[in-house]
Amino acid sequence: MYSLIENEVTKMIAKKRLMFVLAILVILISVFAYGQNRTLARTKAQLTQRMGITATTDWHKLAEQQLIDMKGRLDSPYMDAKSQSSLTVKMQQLQYDLDNNINPLDQSAAKFTATFMEQSIFLFLPLLIVILAADMVSGESSSGTIKLLLVRNIPRWKILLSKYLALIILEVVVIFCAFLLSALISGFFFGFGGWMAPVATGFRVLAGKLDASGVFNVPEWQFSLMVYSLAFFVAVVVGSISFMISVLVKSTAASIGIILATLIAGNFISFFLSDWTLTHYLFMVNLRLTDYLSGAVQPVDGMNMLFSVTVLIVWALVSTIVSFVYFTKKDILV
Amino acid sequence: MQQTPVLQLKNIKKTIKGKEIIKHIDLTLYPSQIFGFLGPNGAGKTTTIRMIVGLIRPTEGSVTICGHSVSRDFVKAMSNVGCIIESPDMYKYLTGMENLLQYAAMNKTIGRQRVHDVVEMVGLQHRINDKISTYSLGMRQRLGIAQALLSRPKLLILDEPTNGLDPAGITEFRNLIRRLAYEEGMTVFVSSHLLLEIEEICDTVSIIKQGTVIKTGAVQELLHEDKIEWQLNDPQKAIALLDEHWNIKAVQLKKNTVSARLGEPSLAEINELLIKEGLELTYCSSKQNTLEDLFLGLTEGDQIV
Repeated sequence: MYSLIENEVTKMIAKKRLMFVLAILVILISVFAYGQNRTLARTKAQLTQRMGITATTDWHKLAEQQLIDMKGRLDSPYMDAKSQSSLTVKMQQLQYDLDNNINPLDQSAAKFTATFMEQSIFLFLPLLIVILAADMVSGESSSGTIKLLLVRNIPRWKILLSKYLALIILEVVVIFCAFLLSALISGFFFGFGGWMAPVATGFRVLAGKLDASGVFNVPEWQFSLMVYSLAFFVAVVVGSISFMISVLVKSTAASIGIILATLIAGNFISFFLSDWTLTHYLFMVNLRLTDYLSGAVQPVDGMNMLFSVTVLIVWALVSTIVSFVYFTKKDILV
Repeated sequence: MQQTPVLQLKNIKKTIKGKEIIKHIDLTLYPSQIFGFLGPNGAGKTTTIRMIVGLIRPTEGSVTICGHSVSRDFVKAMSNVGCIIESPDMYKYLTGMENLLQYAAMNKTIGRQRVHDVVEMVGLQHRINDKISTYSLGMRQRLGIAQALLSRPKLLILDEPTNGLDPAGITEFRNLIRRLAYEEGMTVFVSSHLLLEIEEICDTVSIIKQGTVIKTGAVQELLHEDKIEWQLNDPQKAIALLDEHWNIKAVQLKKNTVSARLGEPSLAEINELLIKEGLELTYCSSKQNTLEDLFLGLTEGDQIV
């Protein structure tokens, strides 16, 4: 079994898939960090210009001013209910930061690392995983090499299991590299510190509203760890689903197309979340697990961390079972 | 001597999407035998091979390799098989050696020395560390054979093995196959639509047509029926005479050539009559039937179904 997994990893590296994924990560993290840096500098400059306060030293006043701004916007009659609720959440967080002496404008490598994954978890990270998973089986079907793989004195389920385990190993590598790369690259922009700074977590959705009563602070490193663990979980789930598609479909292009279309459709469908209960059970709308941690969630009744995790586990399990049953039974006609 | 068959197909049937691809196949192969599986395109050669190696399941019937059922005891059955199916598909992004090592890693009995040995057997030692994407079809074919030989199988299945090989390669390949069969006792199953190929190396041959084996026999026996060619001045009259006297169906081959398969009557008897009837006989020769004639005769006028 060990040598089978080794075979799969060797192929993945030789195909330069892993290198490709890591290169995308480096480029995107650099762009993201640079952009973040620019926005931050401009916000600070604007604020200083407008109100005569230095953002870095006197952020309390700034935060208070922002709160007043937001309150003003909230009173505007042109605001719809949805933006109102999300603005309320932001205000509550800002108020919390203010009360607990957390500078919301401070950027650090630690904060960036967590934010990067929070922003990636629902589309970018799945996309990277799809690049790895989508052709694990379909690639062998379209090149015809699957024939030579399945006529060895090894049962089919073992071949598939070795591929699945190799995929999990690669997922670990990708998540780990994403963490290292974002901490490293953003460090050049914002300094390498910030790992001990407190982050608020423990938000809950109660009756369609964000409830901050149970909120507590954890150090940034612990928060990042939580975020990246959730990211790994999401990677395994998306990996399992892509893996199934890869087993069911013969061509790699079709396999990547199907899973990407599904992921992107998920972003549209999340608009209907509050009105259409069935959509809660789609895996694509449950990927933003980290939002439950940071309180950035769009409050929807019945959707919480436990619900989303359960839905994702069911999806992953069903996909894996379908993959194995189908793969061990199907006629190889390529 | 009763040996255990290396390969046994019993009443194999396969229906794919409502179409009966294989209607009925029975085959038994013994050790140290080179077996030719001959048929036109679409006859079901590759489908049969896929069923032998377990890539697809027969709708009916059973496949047994060295006494192990492929469907019930896949691992044991496949321990005895090496094969190429259709085209020699390899990982293009790996080198030849890396490809072989992938397969070697899947079977504990294959050591590094064995990998080097098979590379030498197929004559690829100079290019083995190049990427497959730079290989020609013939080289990939050689690598395919190398891969099939790795585990020292008792049954070697080769689907269209000489595709893309140059003449020197074909000769080498034939010698290799003979050596494997007669020195190492391997049973070799060669499927091909190239008649010459089968005729040249196989002991036994089965001809398959539209999913059914229509003829099986030793190559020598199948080719035994002799054919006679006459060169004479009036072919039409000769054909009529042959039909009239011995009920022999002759055909005109060229302007002055008539050919027929003889049954009971001796050639001398026929020639005597032809001359007596006033025909000018210039030349008469006995031609051995080629597998091609047999094949074309059996599969004539068939459409691919």
